[in-house]
Amino acid sequence: MRIEKDMKLADVIHHDYHLIPVINRFNIHLGFGDSTIEQLCRKQEINTEFFLTIVNTYHDPQYFPKKHLQSFPVSSLIGYLGKAHQYYLEQKIPEIKRLIIELIEAADDTQKKNFELALGFFEEYQSELVSHIEREENSVYPYALEMEKVLEKETDTSDIILKMENYSITDYEKEHDNVEEKLFDLKNLIIKYLPSVENDTISYGILLELFDLEKDLRDHARIEDMILVPKVEAMEFTIKKMNR
Amino acid sequence: MEDLLKELPGVRLSEVFDGSEKRLSEKVSASKPDLIIIDPQALAGTLNTFLHSLNNKIILVGLVDEHTPPTISSKFSYTINIRESKFGLLDTFNKIPGINPGKAAEHDENKPLSARETTILKHITLGLTNQEIAEKLFLSVHTVTTHRKNITKKLGIKTVSGLTVYALLNKIIKMDDLQP
Repeated sequence: MRIEKDMKLADVIHHDYHLIPVINRFNIHLGFGDSTIEQLCRKQEINTEFFLTIVNTYHDPQYFPKKHLQSFPVSSLIGYLGKAHQYYLEQKIPEIKRLIIELIEAADDTQKKNFELALGFFEEYQSELVSHIEREENSVYPYALEMEKVLEKETDTSDIILKMENYSITDYEKEHDNVEEKLFDLKNLIIKYLPSVENDTISYGILLELFDLEKDLRDHARIEDMILVPKVEAMEFTIKKMNR
Repeated sequence: MEDLLKELPGVRLSEVFDGSEKRLSEKVSASKPDLIIIDPQALAGTLNTFLHSLNNKIILVGLVDEHTPPTISSKFSYTINIRESKFGLLDTFNKIPGINPGKAAEHDENKPLSARETTILKHITLGLTNQEIAEKLFLSVHTVTTHRKNITKKLGIKTVSGLTVYALLNKIIKMDDLQP
């Protein structure tokens, strides 16, 4: 299903509940009645094309947002990606951690040690995710934003040209896979290898959270690869052409 | 798709070719595959010529979606939907005579780690490199790499720290063995 501007947002959410955190990143809060996407976007002053591009890319792995690429600024895209990062670091990660600690507290003394291993492993994953996100926010995003500014104001391009010689957005495309592996391992450790406990409720909760985080991160990475990267590549190309 | 294929037990993904590559059919034939999976869109106009150039014994599987016209999908003996899951892929492959990835799984993946694999796992988690393990056990680096792949496949754990947790849980190593 392609999500269109005249659809009611409520219907879209019923169709794909994974979009709930996504609309939240646009500052759209529940309780929106029968409003269509277009109405809500107007109310929140969101570029409708941009909203549609994000939700469709997120919703459908096959969706390729080619024609909308130029219709919104990089800054809104980066604003969105930053909010997603915030969601991972401030909500998802602490929640999963809280559940693992709960698991340790519920375990009897002979098994506490084993669940503590899972916590240690998760903390390693957490610091990898944090440094990945920091690198994006401290180097990749500023690079894209500066490029947009240069093109908008037609200021001096020599600085950015220098940066482009050392770095191209194409390098960054390859860096996504590594962070995923630990998440994959953690799922298998819980499903297959951690000792069984009488009451599985907490472990189920952790697994659901992990699957959910994994899906969100994968869709997030796709938005970066399919929208941000091509947009920046196009800007890199324009700047190179201007200087020829 | 590539990652899904690599995860299938008993399947070896030998090479991935770009549709625009020159002398594609020569290169594909050179790796002597049992089966090739083709994205008809990637080949576009050259699809027919390419298919005709191949050895009859190679099983042709087309990568399709609901928009693929029947004139294209009928050129393949089997088709896979582009959105297929791991289980769907297994289902398709199991329909093909002579190809039996699921069965290979029962031989390989469900077996516990062998003594040799357990030893290698122990060395990995203690932080040794492939080179160091090879020297210690009088094996070639290539053999160590193969063992590592099998360990990961059997356990479903990809990272060294994940393997370390596994080894600790199963008392293959002790906490004290790990350097602080």
